[in-house]
Amino acid sequence: MSLHGLVKHFDTKLAVAGVSLEVPAGSFYGLLGPNGAGKTTTLSMAVGLLRPDQGHAFLLGYDVWADPATAKARLGVLPDGVRLFDRLTGPELLAYHGLLRGMDAATVNQRARELLEVLELGSGNRTLVVDYSAGMKKKIGLACALLHAPRLLVLDEPFEAVDPVSAALIRDILQRFVAGGGTVVFSSHVMEVVERLCDHVAIMSSGVLRMHGTLAQVKGDRSLEEVFVQVVGGRVATGSELAWL
Amino acid sequence: MTTKAVGVWPFVRLKLRLTANGLRGRPTRIVLFVLGVLLAGFFAIVGYASFAVPGVIDDPHVAGMLLPLGGTAVILGWLFFPLIFFGVDESLDPARFALLPLPRRTLITGLFAAALTGLPALATLAATAGMVDSAARLGGPVAATAQAAGVLLGLFLCVAVSRAVTSAFATALRSRRSRDLAAITLALLAAAIGPLQLAALAGAQRADWDTVGSVARVVAWTPVGAPYSIGLDVAEGRTWQIPLKLLIALATIVALLWWWSTTVESAMVGATAGPRRKTTADTTRPPVDLLLFRRAPRTRFGALVSREIRYWWRETRRRASLVTFSMAALFLPVSLTLGAGSPGSMTIFVGALASLALANQFGFDGTAYATNITTGVPGRVEINSRATAHAIFTIPLLIAVAAVIGALSANPARIPSTFGLLIAAYGVGLGLVLPLSVRAAYALPESTNPFAMSSGGGPAKGLLAMGVLIAAVIISLPLQLIALFIGPIWLWIGLPVGIAYGAAGYLIGSGVAADQLDKRMPELLATITPNRS
Repeated sequence: MSLHGLVKHFDTKLAVAGVSLEVPAGSFYGLLGPNGAGKTTTLSMAVGLLRPDQGHAFLLGYDVWADPATAKARLGVLPDGVRLFDRLTGPELLAYHGLLRGMDAATVNQRARELLEVLELGSGNRTLVVDYSAGMKKKIGLACALLHAPRLLVLDEPFEAVDPVSAALIRDILQRFVAGGGTVVFSSHVMEVVERLCDHVAIMSSGVLRMHGTLAQVKGDRSLEEVFVQVVGGRVATGSELAWL
Repeated sequence: MTTKAVGVWPFVRLKLRLTANGLRGRPTRIVLFVLGVLLAGFFAIVGYASFAVPGVIDDPHVAGMLLPLGGTAVILGWLFFPLIFFGVDESLDPARFALLPLPRRTLITGLFAAALTGLPALATLAATAGMVDSAARLGGPVAATAQAAGVLLGLFLCVAVSRAVTSAFATALRSRRSRDLAAITLALLAAAIGPLQLAALAGAQRADWDTVGSVARVVAWTPVGAPYSIGLDVAEGRTWQIPLKLLIALATIVALLWWWSTTVESAMVGATAGPRRKTTADTTRPPVDLLLFRRAPRTRFGALVSREIRYWWRETRRRASLVTFSMAALFLPVSLTLGAGSPGSMTIFVGALASLALANQFGFDGTAYATNITTGVPGRVEINSRATAHAIFTIPLLIAVAAVIGALSANPARIPSTFGLLIAAYGVGLGLVLPLSVRAAYALPESTNPFAMSSGGGPAKGLLAMGVLIAAVIISLPLQLIALFIGPIWLWIGLPVGIAYGAAGYLIGSGVAADQLDKRMPELLATITPNRS
């Protein structure tokens, strides 16, 4: 994935101010940033959900905005804050995604069942997705993103609201995906997960990319959290304020 | 830590602040707000003028009919309009107060005061003030004072009844079990309004004024008429009635507020903990067979159509619109016959109305539509699949409507040609509505309350849909005229000509819509994404 000078305004507010980023094939890339840093906006522009004011996005070498069909064919997306077609059951939703991707029915059936079993969602479960718990929704979303065996996965906050057991499962699946030659880009504000999983990291704040590179380059000999707080310019509580607590 | 008792002013100020913030920096909303003010002002002036008439012409007899019956109409308006058309202003959503340490009484009086702060309440007050004018002319200052108290009580009654009923319905719709029942009741209510209106008109043409007068005398003793008739009682010296009528009105208001407070409480609890229950047993059928209907092709198109069909049935808002339309379409010919009209005179209107359900089809999906963008569904497939799914529900219904019209006019031979007219209007309607659904989509709130309206441009775009309806009727009109002029031959050629006309309309419109969609998918997604607050 490669982004060149992406810019996005909302009304008068500058949400993303010229982000350029090279994600090497086969890397596990973590996009870090505080709330409101522009992570979701950047990723939405990268996958073709939000038209950038300026700049280009290439997925596996294809321009998302010039040739969307080809660029999206080998891409799996898990957007954040976006609903699924949640009046379908889990199996129905997976079948829907598979057929929309132009897969044949036999492959869809076989892969959907396998994904539902591995993610512990139950291949015969007839609960509507709208009634799933937050963690289950993330898992079914991930299953939808993986169904057509993409080469690039773009995940927005995949670990938000997920319990530790499911998180471990998702981590495991993603690591296997990268080991098999796939590329993962995901956003998060949980340092531990990023430090454990990623080989590349980028830190965003206020719509600007502050630092990026391999994990070792970015953090040096400090902890990732220290680097993050320093780069973003957060403050550390001193003790004089909130004394009444 | 000490806390002071909370009065109603913080709620009122919060409401005003929210209204002001909602307008800041948004020119379209300001325009809509101004339009709302003008409309409210118009309503207020017309209402005041009408209610002041009995005083001006100095006729206590007319006043005795107009005041209680007019007041009843105002209260019924407050009851039905939010339920069916406009929704309620949920800017002060009770669920947002769930975590604050407020006693129930404080919360209810506060929310009630906030509900009174608004254009509709102000306009109603101004309109019904015309009754005070009448009372003053008929009975002097004492009668005017009494009527003023009555008008205030009436306003409280209006607001209390609308809040209590919408809240109760919303609670019913939140729980899975009673939801279907509530949705259907609503649809029936909505569908009943048209026929009721016609029946009332027919009744008014026949009835004599003595009947109306006795109805008014009875209504004056019911909670909906009592507050509006006390000024007249003073004027005519029936002072003993006043305490009784005040009591009736007050007791009703208190009872409504109490009812409201119980449903508000359950709404607040429901917002934090919803019941989750697995209702159906597991299945072993393969996922694709679960999604697709038996004869649907196992392709992208088949998947899209099957998903749409399931959504028309599984999503409350969509199902409510289907049920409402079915009722209206089947009852309209019946009520036209009762009203001594021709059952076929509204044919093209019904056909065009059918297509209107798709006017905000993408708004129904909300952000879920992102799925179709990331999987790269072409615009043509998207538009055609949605229209197909809707037609699968609509065409059998239109056949039924044609059959009803044929039966009512005692002329079964006209069923095919009537169906031809219906399908022509439906096709033309789709041809206009589909581009509209791409260009003028708007976000629906992701609320569990189906009456919660999006604040913002939504209603204005709903008006656009009305314009489209009229345009569709006009474009289909030539066909109806041809049918009138060529007479019996139409019975033979009506069906094929109608289908050809409708198909042409559909092909042109859907082509335009598909082109638009291919160019504007991300922009469309942005317009149907609800603002997260």
